[in-house]
Order: sequence, then structure tokens, then C-alpha cells
Amino acid sequence: MNDAALNTGTQEIVVDEFFPHAPEIIWKLLTTGELIGRWLMVPTGFEPVQGTRFTFQTTAAGAWDGVIHCQVLEATPNERLAYAWQGGHAENVGYGAPLDTVVTWTLRRVEGGTRLRLVHSGFVAPKNDSAFKTMSGGWKKVVQTIGTLAGGPH
Amino acid sequence: MRTLADPTRRAVFERIIRSDEISVAALTQGSGVTQSAISQHLRSLKLAGLVADRAQGRNVFYRAERKGLAPLVDWMSHYGVFWRERFADLRTQLKELDR
Repeated sequence: MNDAALNTGTQEIVVDEFFPHAPEIIWKLLTTGELIGRWLMVPTGFEPVQGTRFTFQTTAAGAWDGVIHCQVLEATPNERLAYAWQGGHAENVGYGAPLDTVVTWTLRRVEGGTRLRLVHSGFVAPKNDSAFKTMSGGWKKVVQTIGTLAGGPH
Repeated sequence: MRTLADPTRRAVFERIIRSDEISVAALTQGSGVTQSAISQHLRSLKLAGLVADRAQGRNVFYRAERKGLAPLVDWMSHYGVFWRERFADLRTQLKELDR
């Protein structure tokens, strides 16, 4: 585990939805390099093996080249996939600022399909930043909406 | 900051941030509101110095003014929208596999 997983006082994004597909099918989409590129971003070097390092290329900002550095922390087939998700640069604020987070996918077999839960954890709140409070209120609403649309408890 | 209090306007702004450049038509697609409503939000964002525009033929493209937005958009708001969209794309891919 990296620092993000151990820090207290950090915040997380949770998205939890039902899919009418078996966990095995969703696992394949989450862990096959070519398929990941179709719904997330094209990974470089990904293997669903603990310890594997891989990257995603995203939009650069300021002193940051836009590369997200990842490392597989856990890969339990059809159940759980977790990877470190790091990027940013100390010279930036907001988008492009240092980012040390963890993305965890949990698949739970339920009647008729799978509940897929994403937890993106380790976000550090900017100090004395009223903008942060306003914006984070926004995503909380988003997650609530997703929960309502998915028709189930989080 | 008041400029971003409206949820639709914030959603528009967040989509612009994640694109290098995006047309008004592309912003309207999938937004659930009319192009004229999108245009109104774009005018407010431009007035607030958060976006800049560029006309090309009949299209107008918008990009984020990174200096204006830096303190306003943090990673968390970025990924809050990002993951919601990735879930939608994942669902689309699952439907493709069903075919």
C-alpha cells in the first residue's frame, strides 16, 4: 500500500452500479489491456499481476507531462483489483497538482449480474480553499445521483 | 466562484477542461439541455475568464483558460465526473460484447 491508502483526513470518490453481466465478463474488461483502452484509457504495460507498473497518458498541465503512474496493488480474479494512481507536479495547483491516490474496483456477484464498486481514494483537500468545498459538494451530488439511478444502496 | 454554482454550467466547464478543445455542438450532445442553454453558460464562463473561444468556419471551439481555473478545479472534482463517464463507457462496451 502507498501513502494514500494510509493517510487519514483524505477523501474518496465512490461510484457503485449494477451491471447485468457476470463478474467474469466485467473482470475481463477491467484487466485486458486492449479492452481497458475502449472505456478508460489505453494503458502502457498493464498486467493484472501484483507489483506490475503501468501508465496512462492524460492531458498535460503546466510542469506535469500528463502521465499517470500506476502499480497493481492487488489482483484477485473476478473479485478485486486495486492500483496506485499517481501524477501531477509540485509546481501546479488544482488540476495537475501532485496526486497520490488509489483506485480500487470491487466486483460482487448478485442476482442477475454484478455490483461494481469503484473507490478512488487518497484525495487531499487543499488548505483554506473555499473552492474545494464548493466543488466537492458537486461530486457528492453526482455520486448520490448515480446511486439513485443504479437503484440500490451504496 | 458564483459562475460555477450552477450544476449544468459546472458540468459544461468540466467537459471543456478535459478536452483540448471542444465545439458547442459536441458540448450539447449528451448534455440533456439545448444548444442555446449551452451557449448561455459558455458566455458566462467566458465573462468569468474561465474559457476562451475560437471560431473556425461555422463552428466555435472552446478551451479552458488554465490560469483562471487552476485554483477552482481540483483533482477530486475532475475525477468525480471522469469516473461517472467511464462507467457509462464500460456499460456501452459490455453491450457491445453482448452482440
